[in-house]
Amino acid sequence: MMLVRAFVSHYRRHPFQLAALALMIVLATMLWTGVTVLTDQARNSLFQSEEAVAAGVHVVRTDGRPVRVEDFAELRMAGLCVAPWLEVRRPPPAGRVIGIDPLAMGCFGKAAPGGNRGELDGAPFLDISAAVRLAREGYDSRLYLLASTENETLPQGYALREFSLGPSTGELADSFLLNLDALSLLVLLITGLLVRSVHRLGIAQRQDSFDLLFRFGVPGRRVRQLLALELVVLTGVCVLPGLWLGTQLAAILGGGFGQALNSLFDVNLYAGAAESLPWQAAAVMVLLVLAVCLVDWLVPRRWQRAVSSARGRLLAVLVLFAGLAGVALAPDLAGVFAGTAVVFVAAGWLTPGLLALSAQKLSDGTDLDGSGPLTRWRRRELAVMFGHLALPVVALQFAMATVLAVQALVTTFESTFDDWLAQRLEAEFYVEVPAGADAGLAAERLQNLEGIGPWHRVTRGEAVISDEGAAGEDKTAVVDLFALTPVSELVVDWTLLASMERPWQRLAQGAVMVNEQLARRHQLELGDTLEFRVADTEMGANIVAVYADYGRPAGEILVSGSALPEDFSARFESFSVNPGEWAMAEISEQLADVWNVSDVTVRDNASIHALASQVFGQTFLLTRAISLLTLVLAAVALLIMSWVFFSTRAWYFRLLGIWGLPAGAIHHQLRRLSVTLTLAVTITAIPLGIWLTWVLVSRINPLAFGWSLPMDLYPLFWLELGLIAVVTGLVVAYLMRWQLVQRENGKQVKS
Amino acid sequence: MADPVLVVERLSKRFSSGGQPVTVLTDLSFNLAKGESLAVVGRSGSGKSTLLNLLCGLQVPDKGNITVTGESFSESVNSDSDARWTELRRRSIGVVFQQANLMPALSLEDNVRLRSHLAGHAAGHERGWLERLGIGAEADRYPDQVSGGQAQRAALAMVFAMAPAVILADEPTGSLDRNTADEVADCLFAMQRDSGCALVLATHDRELASRCDHLLDLSALHLGGTD
Repeated sequence: MMLVRAFVSHYRRHPFQLAALALMIVLATMLWTGVTVLTDQARNSLFQSEEAVAAGVHVVRTDGRPVRVEDFAELRMAGLCVAPWLEVRRPPPAGRVIGIDPLAMGCFGKAAPGGNRGELDGAPFLDISAAVRLAREGYDSRLYLLASTENETLPQGYALREFSLGPSTGELADSFLLNLDALSLLVLLITGLLVRSVHRLGIAQRQDSFDLLFRFGVPGRRVRQLLALELVVLTGVCVLPGLWLGTQLAAILGGGFGQALNSLFDVNLYAGAAESLPWQAAAVMVLLVLAVCLVDWLVPRRWQRAVSSARGRLLAVLVLFAGLAGVALAPDLAGVFAGTAVVFVAAGWLTPGLLALSAQKLSDGTDLDGSGPLTRWRRRELAVMFGHLALPVVALQFAMATVLAVQALVTTFESTFDDWLAQRLEAEFYVEVPAGADAGLAAERLQNLEGIGPWHRVTRGEAVISDEGAAGEDKTAVVDLFALTPVSELVVDWTLLASMERPWQRLAQGAVMVNEQLARRHQLELGDTLEFRVADTEMGANIVAVYADYGRPAGEILVSGSALPEDFSARFESFSVNPGEWAMAEISEQLADVWNVSDVTVRDNASIHALASQVFGQTFLLTRAISLLTLVLAAVALLIMSWVFFSTRAWYFRLLGIWGLPAGAIHHQLRRLSVTLTLAVTITAIPLGIWLTWVLVSRINPLAFGWSLPMDLYPLFWLELGLIAVVTGLVVAYLMRWQLVQRENGKQVKS
Repeated sequence: MADPVLVVERLSKRFSSGGQPVTVLTDLSFNLAKGESLAVVGRSGSGKSTLLNLLCGLQVPDKGNITVTGESFSESVNSDSDARWTELRRRSIGVVFQQANLMPALSLEDNVRLRSHLAGHAAGHERGWLERLGIGAEADRYPDQVSGGQAQRAALAMVFAMAPAVILADEPTGSLDRNTADEVADCLFAMQRDSGCALVLATHDRELASRCDHLLDLSALHLGGTD
């Protein structure tokens, strides 16, 4: 008992250090739990959404009219498995709700949407009776009849269509999840570094006590056992509030996140807040804390010494280059992730030493005239700080690099997606061709409308390409076929990643364009002749352009509608129309007349564009928020570490005062020291952040999804980060100054 | 007595300890002329360090006046007195502690250069001061690379490099063995004589105290000659 008392006496004398370690474990657990809960929710929601609409088809009337309850009754009486899906759109923040009938869903052979709990848990899924009440209040609503794919024969007047509530953006969702996974790993790495740094500082300060215990005959093993026990108890106590805070964080961020998934990806956060504390996240955090704090006992001392030796640094440089080469050349995602991890390890290994060396060199080169000696001292102190604060410095560097990369990726994503969406929604209106209607007749009618703006007919279907390649590998694949009739001026501003001269004219004359995914997957280049089969017709055409695309992972061929064979069967048809001198309502009437239906479905592309852009911003709010929270955590850790570390250096600032340096000048030195420290970390974070951005846009995205993003740099972010660094440095200086003033209150110079 | 560089008049200082006032100094007065040395002795807690703190303006007396090189200070504190004390410490008062006198991030030579620079002297003579104290060969080494005796010699070099009017030394040999302590003390007194500055030396070491011109025993509050 006495031994335990002696053991913890350090924390009785320095309760702040214990509080700092506890706070760091709590915050690290909070961040990790928050990220884990949100990522799991996103993944589960995607999975559940797929489960919920696994049928993938819904029943439509061939006369183009919307389905009604009577249709549901008729289909059920015919013995078919159909289920009503009543979608009611309310203005934000209430958002969309979906009324379903769990009993009707039962015939699908799987649980109803809303999870496997056999009950509906409120928004977005409601019992259909509640949704009907909302619809009757005047909210915009639409009824769908989901059908099982097993339904082969439908009564007369009905047809099956793919069930899709919005644009297909499955790959964006996957990309988003991949980003979250990568971010989670980085958060884990950074929090591990921060916890280790605070713990190690405490151990260093308690080393004298441990030595004393050893001299009193306490075996080193016993000391280590007590240290491990102390850490287990502390972690156990701190992980619980961290878990709770993490779930609260997830609940706060989950609101915007859920709305984003709901609107953009057709994914709903079914579960809302976590049902129970995520114990797996807690277990990971406990293991992480124990691992990072006790790793010194597992790694032989000579290895630890080797890390900071000259040979160790040379090895780190070699590891760095190996990692860089690995990322550049790896043929798959696993290789890129492994190479990235290696580069981060090497960067963390080298950075503190490089910064200390730079400060030392600067110090050696200081002009000793003027205030030179004081400047030399400050730079030497800086070198010492880089050495002693290595772990929090590296953690801050990683956090800053992550923020830079995420910000650059998101901004690039936003602008690229916005451009892409603007191109795809170039026309003012979009008219869906009703099932069974003749799109050719409508095209003739539009052709004859004088004063109408640019328009084109969109025909979608499938093609099969067969490219055996040089190695004889069979690459036969079903790809999307996208036909435009005519090739109107609505498409001529599309972003083409590569093109021959006059690509659109050539397309109209029978050439083809391919999307980036298809070009990458089949190594297609401009001028190649693409052989493909449409229906039963073998076709071949020159590739005149490769265009950017963020969907359709199987690849897509763009052709002129005039090139389609007679036996081609369209899967989907629509018109993109600029009404020109006509009112859109008049054009709708014309088309309804041609198709002999009471009404046609017209979408306003501008509002869709605005909504999609807004939703896209919300989607990445989460990524930004987590990366910024990580940065805040790293900055707070640096504050704590600097403050604690400064307590060991405060005497030397006090000595300056004894030597007659005015208090204002001492505080000025403090500010310069701490701001230089944080700014230097920022400077090392920028190249790492740029490199990470390149990895994300040019390596991970193409390998994962077949498309890349442009590599844009955003110096404004660098400035923002520099500003954050300055603020962090000033706060550190303020804390140091506060500590100095507190110590000066004693006015003791006795050594 | 020649013109005094240090005049202490009716100096009093009290602390509060456990809620109870503890009187450390009461009506203490003495003068010290240029080239003179004063040993301050007394049991632990008798106020030796407090007196040195008061003499360099790091603490403020409850009563009394202190005059250093003509600059006079009373118990009243304001920004002007703070600035004057700071200036005095910078240029005229050299302070030596038992240990931790050096900046650990700087070499011995750079430590001397920094102290000399703060006192307003141009760079160039640092190595010479270290050589005079017998540690010229250690000039490029860092404080944690030299012995305690060498570090104290470096601390003395720093003080003499600033050419002070008064040196306040608080147990400067307290952490050294007898032989090293004697060597450091020899350096201190020899260079004090050479420079002609006044010296106030707080020590438990009666033998060291006996080398000073005057002795102040705070336990007995007795001021008188050593012989």
